[in-house]
Amino acid sequence: MLFNSLPFLIFLPTVFILYWFVLKGQHLAQNVLLLLASYIFYGWWDYRFLALIAASTLVDYGIGLALSKEKKNKNRKLLLTASLVFNLGLLGFFKYYNFFVDSWVNAWASAGVTLETSTLNIILPVGISFYTFQTLSYTIDVYKRKLEPTTSLLRFATYVSFFPQLVAGPIERATHLLPQFKIPRVFKSEFAVSGFYLIIWGLFKKVVIADNCAFFVTQIFDAPGGHSSLELLLGGVLFGFQIYGDFSGYSDIAIGVARLFGFSLMTNFKFPYFSRDIAEFWRRWHISLSTWFRDYLYIPLGGSRGNKWVQIRNVSIVFLVSGFWHGANWTFIVWGGIHALLFLPLLLLERNRNNMEGDPLSIRKLPSILGTFFVVTVAWIFFRADSVGIAFDYIVQMFTNYTASFDVFLKTSKALLFSCIIVMSIAVLLCFEYFSIRKNRNEVKLNRLSAVFIALLILFMGVFKNPADFIYFQF
Amino acid sequence: MKQFLKQIAVVIGLFLVLAYLLSAGSLWSLRKSSFYKPSFLVNAVEEDTFDYIVLGASTGLTTLDTKAIDEQAGSKGINLSMDDTGLSSHYLMLEHFLAEGKTTKYCIIAPGVNAYDATVKGLNDNDYRFLMFVNRPYISRYFSEVEEKDMQSNVLSSSKWFPFIGVSYFNAEIFYPSILSLIQPKKRNRFDEAGNYTYPVKRKQLKFIKKKQSNLTFSNPTLVKLNKLCKTNNIELIYYIAPLRAENMVLDLTENRVIDHSAIIDKDEYFYDNIHVNSNGREITSRIFAEQLSEILK
Repeated sequence: MLFNSLPFLIFLPTVFILYWFVLKGQHLAQNVLLLLASYIFYGWWDYRFLALIAASTLVDYGIGLALSKEKKNKNRKLLLTASLVFNLGLLGFFKYYNFFVDSWVNAWASAGVTLETSTLNIILPVGISFYTFQTLSYTIDVYKRKLEPTTSLLRFATYVSFFPQLVAGPIERATHLLPQFKIPRVFKSEFAVSGFYLIIWGLFKKVVIADNCAFFVTQIFDAPGGHSSLELLLGGVLFGFQIYGDFSGYSDIAIGVARLFGFSLMTNFKFPYFSRDIAEFWRRWHISLSTWFRDYLYIPLGGSRGNKWVQIRNVSIVFLVSGFWHGANWTFIVWGGIHALLFLPLLLLERNRNNMEGDPLSIRKLPSILGTFFVVTVAWIFFRADSVGIAFDYIVQMFTNYTASFDVFLKTSKALLFSCIIVMSIAVLLCFEYFSIRKNRNEVKLNRLSAVFIALLILFMGVFKNPADFIYFQF
Repeated sequence: MKQFLKQIAVVIGLFLVLAYLLSAGSLWSLRKSSFYKPSFLVNAVEEDTFDYIVLGASTGLTTLDTKAIDEQAGSKGINLSMDDTGLSSHYLMLEHFLAEGKTTKYCIIAPGVNAYDATVKGLNDNDYRFLMFVNRPYISRYFSEVEEKDMQSNVLSSSKWFPFIGVSYFNAEIFYPSILSLIQPKKRNRFDEAGNYTYPVKRKQLKFIKKKQSNLTFSNPTLVKLNKLCKTNNIELIYYIAPLRAENMVLDLTENRVIDHSAIIDKDEYFYDNIHVNSNGREITSRIFAEQLSEILK
């Protein structure tokens, strides 16, 4: 079920009414309702994959309990390994099997050896990367004795499948979300209102920003050879806004929906396009994933301890794995690699904490903001392109095909209309974000009037005919 | 909870009122304009009596130049064709024409050739252009009684009560043109003062294609409805088949008069694509049509 769909418009108020009016004060029953609602939400897309979530839930619940009883380190390690093998095995099979087979065959082919293999026609279950990482964090935290395992299968199952963030995050840690299923729910009006406003803001980002940008992005990326350098550059910029609107919009809606049910989810995006360097960008972009990798990969690898080479190795691994997490394609790995290359100089020069989120923005920092945005945009080209070769050609043409042609944005009245909508909506986005940063907020806070204004923009500037899917569903 | 419900009720209420006002205003603006054919007919066509009207899809729109035809045949006609429409839309346009108190001796229908036999159960792509008149019973009936309901038909039919649903769903096609119409109420969406449009002469050569022969049985049930409506209003219905680059039609029909131009021209220089003539092709076709019409009008 998509957040921006008619079924969800009926689903959400129904669950809300049942949750707060019919089952008020019965938090166990409320958990049962959330679990059922979550399975309906996920099953709406493809009910066959509910078995995967159920299996993942049962395995990690069982391993969590076993870990709490097991005293021997060797056995505990075995249990952790079993969880890792199961979860990463699921992910590996559904997401990476064909990629590995293809890469293996191609590697041998480049050495002149032809291998006879066949790939499988595997459907990637929506959100598998998200809920796998969520359950893994639980087992690892229990293993590290940072978290007491839950004895309630219901609570754990609801935590794993919690519908607001099930398919595209934020990737919640068990330490943060799981305890919230234990305590009785008290309706906090202000908290719920903030969630309602955040849903409106998230819808604006998705339906207005992302879906309108998609109109040009698809045209430009589908045939980069036919476009001028300016169009290619703007294609990259618009993809940057498309993916931001799409993904952070989803996160905002998820956080907002969770608040309606009394749950607090972590902030996933903190105005990343106002970052003054790449290190700051990664503290503002997809925070739930970057902190996951920090805690469960970077730090176990040694983090910033050790000599420079160890630091370089650790950072490179984290960025490459992060790229690979996004999808089974070399484009994502190169994307991760580019970010590693951009991040490493800051780390080595110990300048990765020069620009912290709380530092005030000033006009003098505008060149740094634009510079960071530019390098992020170039990296996005790899993320969006179908292959590394196409991405390279795109970039080469962007820097060599010097023509000021702007045709794609103006050639028809429809294109001109979309261009105007995009310019206006991005201006609105950046204004709201800028004032939120100035007030040192983590999210855009709307009031009554601005919420109505944004809702009207959604209605009259949004894409409702043939809306694009959420990009991050494929991950 | 009360505070929350009150808060969101205020926001939703204010939003709905403003959305309603804006969308109703948007439809009003289009209703008073000449932007799309339905409102063009109401606001810009002063004559009430015609010798013929052309109802069609893009083929009718771009093949029969009513200005040239009238000049040659001394007739009075108008082109009410709209691209991406089908026979059901032509039926609706005829109802709309009659509802305006206008009459015609002949009604030439010029859909895409396949429409004569194909049965379309849903709405056609550009039927939303009637949205500004959704409160008229024949239009709301058309949207709501469509056989195969889909998102578009649901959106259009519910717009009778909630105009913001249709205006937002078709915001690029309705809302923004309505703003333009507010500034330029006489602006037309790619057709001239007689309702015609022409495709340019392309420099690029068309792909070679072998001409084939196809049969037409005129089995689309909407034709029965059209015949009935015409008969009730003393209009003679004429089926028109526009020039086709790759097909000659064999007709299986006795009841209605047919003007078959499918094979009157075949040189590529007269075609924009396989089913549309360009401005040169339109000139020739309209000339031949005018000769035939003169005979009919005698």
